[in-house]
Amino acid sequence: MIRFLAKRLLHGLAVLWVVVTLTFVLLRILPGGPFDSERRLPPEIMANIQAKYHLDEPWLKQYARYLAGVAQGDLGPSYKYIDRTVSDIIKDTLPTSTLLGVLALVFAVVLAFPLAVAAAAYHNRWADRGCVFLATLGISLPHFLLGAALIWVFSLKLGWFQAARWGSPDSAVLPTITLGAMPCAYFTYLLRSSLLETLGEDFIRTARAKGLKEPFVLFKHAVRNSLIPVLTLLGPLFATLVAGSFVVEYVFAIPGMGRFFISAVTDRDYPLITGVTLVYTAILVCANLLVDMCYSLVDPRIRVR
Amino acid sequence: MNLTLVFLFRKGRLRPVFALLILLIFSGCNPFSRGGDDKVFRVNLSTEPPSLDWSLATDHASFNVIANLMVGLADFDKSLKPVPIVAKSWNVLERGRRIVFHLRDDLTWSDGKKVTAEDFEYSWKRLLDPKTASQYAYILFDIVNAEEFNQGKLADADQVGVKATDERTLEVRLKHPAPYFLSIATFEVTYPQRRDVIEKHGTKWTDPENIVTNGPFLLASWKHENEIQLKANPNFFLGKPAIETVEMYMITEKTTSLALYEQGKLDFLDNYSIPTLEKPRLSKGPGFRRVPQLRGEYYGFAVDRKPFDDVRVRKAFAMAIDRSVFPRILHGGEQPATSWIPPGMLAHNPKIGLTYNPPEARRLLREAGYPEGKGFPRVTVSYNTLEHHKLVAEAIQGMWQRNLGVVVQLENQDWKVYLKKLETDPPPVFRSGWGADYPDPDNFMKLFTSLSGNNHGRWKSPRYDELLEEAAREMSEKKRIRLYDEAQKILCETEVAIMPLFVVVESTVLNPRFTGLEYNSMSRMVLRHVRPKKVSSEK
Repeated sequence: MIRFLAKRLLHGLAVLWVVVTLTFVLLRILPGGPFDSERRLPPEIMANIQAKYHLDEPWLKQYARYLAGVAQGDLGPSYKYIDRTVSDIIKDTLPTSTLLGVLALVFAVVLAFPLAVAAAAYHNRWADRGCVFLATLGISLPHFLLGAALIWVFSLKLGWFQAARWGSPDSAVLPTITLGAMPCAYFTYLLRSSLLETLGEDFIRTARAKGLKEPFVLFKHAVRNSLIPVLTLLGPLFATLVAGSFVVEYVFAIPGMGRFFISAVTDRDYPLITGVTLVYTAILVCANLLVDMCYSLVDPRIRVR
Repeated sequence: MNLTLVFLFRKGRLRPVFALLILLIFSGCNPFSRGGDDKVFRVNLSTEPPSLDWSLATDHASFNVIANLMVGLADFDKSLKPVPIVAKSWNVLERGRRIVFHLRDDLTWSDGKKVTAEDFEYSWKRLLDPKTASQYAYILFDIVNAEEFNQGKLADADQVGVKATDERTLEVRLKHPAPYFLSIATFEVTYPQRRDVIEKHGTKWTDPENIVTNGPFLLASWKHENEIQLKANPNFFLGKPAIETVEMYMITEKTTSLALYEQGKLDFLDNYSIPTLEKPRLSKGPGFRRVPQLRGEYYGFAVDRKPFDDVRVRKAFAMAIDRSVFPRILHGGEQPATSWIPPGMLAHNPKIGLTYNPPEARRLLREAGYPEGKGFPRVTVSYNTLEHHKLVAEAIQGMWQRNLGVVVQLENQDWKVYLKKLETDPPPVFRSGWGADYPDPDNFMKLFTSLSGNNHGRWKSPRYDELLEEAAREMSEKKRIRLYDEAQKILCETEVAIMPLFVVVESTVLNPRFTGLEYNSMSRMVLRHVRPKKVSSEK
């Protein structure tokens, strides 16, 4: 197990290095610089700014400087948010995104399980069709549309929840539903089809023939054996949700990290883009590692090496 | 519902939970009060201010916070003329080459220390210091040796022409007479700073626990990407503001901020927080205001290439635009314009420019060798990706097709890519705009001088350059107006380097419970006079 972990950690570090390098190169190729604006700056002022951020140095030197900083935990200054470092920004915003992501994931899993089980147990009946309809709706509705609709109904019309901003428990309800709807739909689809396949297996027929009650057959035998595809999806989904969602954070004015995946690119804030990409990749690597370890818990036939 | 839930519900164990849910749903309970506290005023900033360091800030969100935390030497009156605020008076000497500011002696920083002339000298030299790398350093380049110091050609800051001759006197020496310099003294980047605070806290000096300010409000808290809270300054020399607390939210999505306003959770929205299509509805309600800005939108030509190297073609294109269409399609009350200097600024002259005249436009195009647009080369009109730029471009495309028989292609690009293209390879026709840093025509007109980095069309006119140079040094308003009139005629009428389209008008909406908010023509939100309507006078 220790060998497995060490191997995977080394593998993860290699992935992080590749991601940093690719991001660094791609950003420099992208047309437009961080300090281009409607007011074109006089050349001497631009020279001062470039010197301050070492942008006047050759790429290779900039790259070496950045890697040396990252190795010491320094992700550099933000070009847009002048008084803050990238580490400050991530420290301020990641906890909010993570909390919202975990809430959305819990919402998705808690809702998806009963829906998928009901759909599989009542295959081709109204419960199944209803669940499939809801899941299709969840996948098809874009976040911005669902978010706006939820604000309109539950905030403007009914006045139950705060329309936006983060802070109180009620402010988390609508963004959690918006962010969790799509993963919930995917989980429902995936678990339902996996359950339907498992319910047709010989060992289920044997369990029923032994006279086991249906809830016992479903939860003890079928569900556990249908979890592998769901677990596979859980890793990348976890990383995506906890790293923040641009649209949900934008619509509900949530002070999370997700917005920077788009706005930092628009602003050409090179250190911020690289920093958030690095954090996202690290979360993804860790989540996948955890999922791989969970496989053996769900199915003892799978061994980690 | 899964089998377990069905089982529990049948046994009656979930019924109380279900009943509570139903009760909640149909009681229409609203956990939020719709009223609000008269001592708290809530506005939307739209976005996180990138910096509260006024030597480094460049955007409207940052300046809207700073403008309520600080006061500088001068402020604007209602007609945008500079009037003293920290300065009690000033003398313009040596035919405009030397300005002496005399400071009030009753103004203190939030930590109780007096605001001195040294604080201004330090701030201005910090703005110019190449190590600060301020984008707005050029605003002080009229000062003796300022440009050389910023370029690193001069290491000794003492040689820069700004000096505190005593605690209450600031002397500024200019390279040449600059009639607009007093307007520059209203700009936030010229506000004073405390050397001891900045040297002690470094880049963290703007954090609420470190910052020291001298304005009507104090920075109480700054939750990044979420909310800034200001508290009334009890020691502000003009009196403590009537509202105790200002909450500034950072909601980027316009429909969301409008939803909060309509829920009574926000008291003021500026143009950046109001969805365009909601403006006509809101304009019928209370508290709505349209504020014309010192900001113009124009289309420029790449005059160094065919077909726009021919002035007749440029004139034909300018005369084929019906500018009255823009307010109808943009819903913002935009003011159509054929001249470049906007209303509210010295030398604004609406009579200058080429007006809508399709027959004359067709005649000019025919004369240039393109009768009814025949044989006209393929031309691209470029703009940066934004919905209202697209609407304007499509409207103009239609007008040129109808009035000239010319079909142009539209092309839109991401903002930074677009800026790079303007710099390196300007498209035949391109969209651009300009907002005033300070309310003087010099700031608007010098965009198009031969050596200006903002002259994207690469148009050159020695006469225009001369006129601008002369107007920038002329102290008589009457003579300046005459010079700018001539320059505008060259720019928009005879040479047609650009086609001004309209002056931007911003919409704002204020909770009718409050009054006294000032929103000026440079998008500054001044909150120190805000008060609840029932309170008759300020403290």
